[in-house]
Amino acid sequence: MKAVCWMGAGKVEIQTVEDPKIINPGDAVIRVTRTAICGSDLHLFDGYIPTMESGDILGHEFMGVVEEVGTAVKKLKRGDRVVIPFTIACGSCFFCKTDLWSLCDNSNPNARICETMYGYSGSALFGYSHIYGGFAGGQAQYVRVPFADVGPIKIESDIPDEKVLFLSDIYPTGYQAAENAQIKPGDTVAVFGCGPVGLFAIASAYMFGAEKVIAIDRFPERLKLAREYCGATTIDYTAGNPSIVEALRDLSNGIGPDSIIDAVGMEAHGTDAAAFYDKIDQALMLETDRPTVLRQAIQAVRKGGTLSIPGVYGGDLDKLNFGAAFGKGITMKMGQTNMHKYLAPLLKSIEDGKIDPSFMISHRVGIEDVPDMYKIWRDKKDRVTKIVIDPFREKGIDRLRA
Amino acid sequence: MAQAAEQFDAPSFPKQGAIWKPLPKGKQGKQQAAHTVQTIRATPDQVFNLYTRIEFLPAWMEGVVSVQRLSPKKLRWLMQDPGTGKQFEFDAEEVESVPGKRYVSRVTTGPTAGTTNTLTLEAHPSGRGTVATLINVFTLPGGLFTKAVTSVVSRSPAQITIENLRHLKEVLEAGEIPSVEGQPAGRRGISGKLKQVLYGENMPMPPGTSDRARPDDLPESASKGPSKWGVLLGSAVAVAVLGSLLFVETKSDPSGESLHD
Repeated sequence: MKAVCWMGAGKVEIQTVEDPKIINPGDAVIRVTRTAICGSDLHLFDGYIPTMESGDILGHEFMGVVEEVGTAVKKLKRGDRVVIPFTIACGSCFFCKTDLWSLCDNSNPNARICETMYGYSGSALFGYSHIYGGFAGGQAQYVRVPFADVGPIKIESDIPDEKVLFLSDIYPTGYQAAENAQIKPGDTVAVFGCGPVGLFAIASAYMFGAEKVIAIDRFPERLKLAREYCGATTIDYTAGNPSIVEALRDLSNGIGPDSIIDAVGMEAHGTDAAAFYDKIDQALMLETDRPTVLRQAIQAVRKGGTLSIPGVYGGDLDKLNFGAAFGKGITMKMGQTNMHKYLAPLLKSIEDGKIDPSFMISHRVGIEDVPDMYKIWRDKKDRVTKIVIDPFREKGIDRLRA
Repeated sequence: MAQAAEQFDAPSFPKQGAIWKPLPKGKQGKQQAAHTVQTIRATPDQVFNLYTRIEFLPAWMEGVVSVQRLSPKKLRWLMQDPGTGKQFEFDAEEVESVPGKRYVSRVTTGPTAGTTNTLTLEAHPSGRGTVATLINVFTLPGGLFTKAVTSVVSRSPAQITIENLRHLKEVLEAGEIPSVEGQPAGRRGISGKLKQVLYGENMPMPPGTSDRARPDDLPESASKGPSKWGVLLGSAVAVAVLGSLLFVETKSDPSGESLHD
């Protein structure tokens, strides 16, 4: 089969590799009908997530049709159409049983690496480094899915793939970000970053009863979606070099947003001296992550407010204003998404027509186009907002908002 | 606040605490101690039963090719170093076996004679299953040099201890041991292969309930000679039985119902 392989920082190739097979009795093999590049894949592409190995198959947002199941699989059969959550969970451990699916105890074959780096290991993830298990990802024509009775959600209706594909990660991730933000009806919420997760976080904040959502980014195409589909008040942080803290104070009646969502993470940009400092610090390997947005969010959130962090952080942060976090008594909630908890209710929201997640797709491409698309999205060219891949199509780029 | 004060049911003081006693760890003379603690979502009896079924040991314990019972309390182990592929045999005796509570064994022959393994089981105080504590005190034949080499090439004694109890927990809770062995990948190149060794991914994962215990999948050195083929085929059968046993046990044991719903 053809697969998208990570071959070093800044280098992605399409290679012909062996087809996946059943390894454990709870496995299924899926023929992938749609997959996508996630914003967090760009962290891998840029080489900021440790423990990637040349030859790793990328991709953790995918769906498809069941080809084969292992002997212990009871709920799925060949021909079922499924969306696969990007976190791999056993469904039986203490963490799965308490809805902390992304912290599953039994899915990561490399738990020891994670324990060395983080103290304890989270669940395995598809196509996301060897700390998280080294599982082959879904930017491929076929993929092996462990614990197939636990993760995949069946799509019984004839709803198009691209409307349900984002149940694999970014819609539940945006939704959990809003849930973690502890929003109460009437609240003001600010969302840093209008990439796919940020856009879903904005929409989800309204689902939790937010009165006003403020969105911060620098790309017009993203800000337009935040404003015109998700209903946010938008701030372009590069237009006139505004103080974000001041802008958020003014837009929240002088007290600061009740909740702030950092949907940017470790590769943040900014226009102030702190952002410049982070660039230098990271280049000199004095810190692994650039917490430019995190600092601003800590500064801007109201006293006693909540900071929700769906943006990915991987290692060490420098000059974090923790005194401000303490002094204002804020709550921070973060982590990988407990995917399995959200699949059924969010599928219902799509099938009920409340939201059409395909609103953000800007490009549909063939598998041979994927290496170029990684570069194009990383360099923020061609007004990319979301790229979906048909892995059985050789080449051809559809621009859906030309 | 007044209402909160009324609802506040404070415990009474003084209340007796305890002093932490560290579990064995590190070098003690010619021996190396290691320990690990896991909470396993199963009953103490279920944990004890799987731990002491010698035919299932190759399915979840690292480096075990086979274990035979020579007499009621005497066992013969055939092991294979996962890093070097070298096989070695030794005998061990059961020192203590209290079902659902404690199992102690000691190696009696070979260069590692004197090595002891102690598994202690207790019901979790809040009903989360079983707290399993595994303490291994290894006799290392090559002293510090061996320890230094094995910590790079193979598992260190501390890591073997951790991985073994982890695999037992994985089989009991999830019904399988997670693995990526045999999955597709692009060209690894030199850096990819080096990283695999660095991250310990060159160590074969015990098969758990998968069919990876087939003789074809095992290293060549382990499948020489008709007697070993027999042993290995026995392992494959044991794995299949283990799989069915786990599903039957978890469904039929009423005491485990709340732990395996």
